[in-house]
Amino acid sequence: MLGWEFPPYFAGGVGTVCHELTRGLARNGVHVTYIMPHGPDDAASKHVRLLVADRAMQRLGVTTLRVKSLLTPYTSANEYEARYAQALRLNPMDAHPSTIYGKDLLEEMYRFAAAVLEIARDEEFDIIHAHDWTTIPAALALKRASGKPLVVHVHITEFDKTGGEHADPEVYRIERDGFQAADRVIAISEMVQRRLVRQYGVDPARIRVVYNTVEYGEGPSGPRERMTDGERVVLFLGRVTLQKGPDYFIEAAAKVAHVVPNARFIIAGTGDMLPRIVERAVALGIGHRVTFTGFVGREDGDRLYRMADVFVMPSVSEPFGLVPLEAMKQGTPVIVSRQSGVSEVLRNALKVDFWDVDELANKIIAALTYNDLHAALREHGEGEIRNATWDIPATQCVRVYREALGT
Amino acid sequence: MVSVCCYFQVHQPHRLRRYSVFDIGRSRDYFDHRKNAEIIAKVARKCYLPANAVLLELLRQHPEFKVTFSISGVALEQMRDHAPEVLRSFQDLVATGRVELLAETYYHSLAFLYDREEFREQVAKHVALVQSLFGVTPTAFRNTELIYNNELAHHVEKLGFKTVLAEGWDQVLGWRSPNFVYKSKGTGALKLLLKNYRLSDDLAFRFSNRGWSEWPLTADKYGQWIANVNGNGQVVNLFMDYETFGEHQWEDTGIFEFLRHFPAEVLKHPDNDFVTVSEAAERYSAADEVDVHHYISWADVERDLSAWLGNGMQQGAIQELYRIGKAVKGMDDPDLLEAWRRLTTSDHFYYMCTKWFNDGDVHKYFSPYESPYDAYISYMNALNDLALRAKVRGASGFLSAKPSVHVAGTVLA
Repeated sequence: MLGWEFPPYFAGGVGTVCHELTRGLARNGVHVTYIMPHGPDDAASKHVRLLVADRAMQRLGVTTLRVKSLLTPYTSANEYEARYAQALRLNPMDAHPSTIYGKDLLEEMYRFAAAVLEIARDEEFDIIHAHDWTTIPAALALKRASGKPLVVHVHITEFDKTGGEHADPEVYRIERDGFQAADRVIAISEMVQRRLVRQYGVDPARIRVVYNTVEYGEGPSGPRERMTDGERVVLFLGRVTLQKGPDYFIEAAAKVAHVVPNARFIIAGTGDMLPRIVERAVALGIGHRVTFTGFVGREDGDRLYRMADVFVMPSVSEPFGLVPLEAMKQGTPVIVSRQSGVSEVLRNALKVDFWDVDELANKIIAALTYNDLHAALREHGEGEIRNATWDIPATQCVRVYREALGT
Repeated sequence: MVSVCCYFQVHQPHRLRRYSVFDIGRSRDYFDHRKNAEIIAKVARKCYLPANAVLLELLRQHPEFKVTFSISGVALEQMRDHAPEVLRSFQDLVATGRVELLAETYYHSLAFLYDREEFREQVAKHVALVQSLFGVTPTAFRNTELIYNNELAHHVEKLGFKTVLAEGWDQVLGWRSPNFVYKSKGTGALKLLLKNYRLSDDLAFRFSNRGWSEWPLTADKYGQWIANVNGNGQVVNLFMDYETFGEHQWEDTGIFEFLRHFPAEVLKHPDNDFVTVSEAAERYSAADEVDVHHYISWADVERDLSAWLGNGMQQGAIQELYRIGKAVKGMDDPDLLEAWRRLTTSDHFYYMCTKWFNDGDVHKYFSPYESPYDAYISYMNALNDLALRAKVRGASGFLSAKPSVHVAGTVLA
């Protein structure tokens, strides 16, 4: 399996998905060797063989300086350039240009491909399972070299990241080549499936939808928490970027604030839109009602879910969207945009169109105000995900492997 | 001898529009007039008009043929306003003298469970509408969704009705057959007719089910099943929604062909005939007394109230509704009272049901809303506006917010 990140060395949701999926696969008798570009030398995991390409690159004679990567699979090439430049400004000591590997994202991807080929020479495997576009050059090279079937797992496309405008032609080309060369393409929602067919010309017969899920396990990881002063908490948790719709959240918050005087709005996460959102909150006169936490880790995130009276995911375009499931696991009612893959499967959630700020505010107010509604969403929401386990998508993936292998 | 007693229910609610919290205090327009008119027109085209045409033809062909309808007041007024040709076609049926009309709550409500005075007012209002539109006075009663117990029977008798209907549920009948006329415990001469749910549901639910071992159901076969009751019963009560014909069972299932041949197949057996509800009650004496303490209904496998009152949202909403009833009436505002009464219609609570929704059986979930939660939100928002208009405030827990929530400048908590 080729991926770009793996807990605890990850930046976003795809790393979590890879981790949980490989656990589910391991429980279902699949031996997974997971190759990712970088991580510490002693990177290890109980259920998969974790290989870090850094070391192979060293063996290839490529000298690299291990720095905190600027890369995430969500970052467009343009954004990468900006972050790279920013990194140079912020860490002039670390950032001597000749020693930072992967001067741009594309270059780093091809280096990863070379490393994967080197590593895989010593590996035995039946099938290649690659996650998203950053691993596609490596996956295609490995497919050519080994003759093994390829399954590409699509979590997000360039179109979702850019809203369909200013899509990077190079990224699009890599994606299209990968999707079309793959023996099977796994889409994490019907929304992604439609995009693969319409925007990438993938044969629908080769696409399989495998929805993400959460591992419910023991349920909430702690007791519910209350704001000491009796405030009602409305939570946004995610990257503060165009795709996640924080601007719709803040507009709705202003409308809610007029009706529910003790509402507190928490925006947990960072991103390029954060300054704009802060300014907008002030302009709307609700600056004092909004709390910005910055980036939060997993444990703090779970605490925030348990503190929240309602969790909102107003994404403009969300191929799946795991966070509402995480919130429901912690016993918190959720509102999701209909423009998300998760809304295809979630029943006991409130749903809105992301642009319909009035309706979003209406539903936030209802969830805060009508206790019977709040209780019903909690109870049925928990009931809906109580049996959730990654064994389900894992066995679906195994079925896709069998199709790709023709067995 | 077997008498076949067909009773068809006709009802269409005033569905709410998406009424937002921001409409509270600003808009008194709670209902989706366009959608309601569209639905009446659609059901008229698929069911009411073609089915009425078939029945009228059958009444001409077979002097022995008879049917009974109950048409809710809100359905009648929507026909009058949006589909007058449908109302005329029902009037034509009643004019044959062989079509009986039952009384029910005007608003197809659950008022009996929460407000007895309101219940009586809604029944009286329905009887008055039936009299004015059809020139007949109902003498038999059916409560919303056949919700029934001893107490209901007692009240219905006090209102002067001679007959009441209920589900022929095994748990109240025990070893007894629904194919007799009964009386209720604690009443005098009031007769009780019980639905034969097996034969009724063969038509209403199973008719088009290709997985059913009896599919396809022909009028010939069905007539034979009814004839088989000979010797084991006197009356076969086929009670169902009228929308069975053309709306629940589409025309291409052959349901209208079935209906066309049904009376002839029944009458082929010389011992059989048709009766209206009141004729059945007059002709046959009560075989036994039925004792029903808990409420039963004709809904779902449970035959209880859980479709309307099964979860906290439904219970909370209906309690708030009836709690503000007195204040609404005290305002002496006919528009306000009418809006409140339209909110008593049972369908609003049915839409909030989570029973099937949570099983993932969304397709069977017949509702204009995306989810029971959406149904609840629009309903509670509209109810809050009514509460504002009725000047109900300060009463604890109305909006069930902690602490108080300000809506349109008024404290409602």
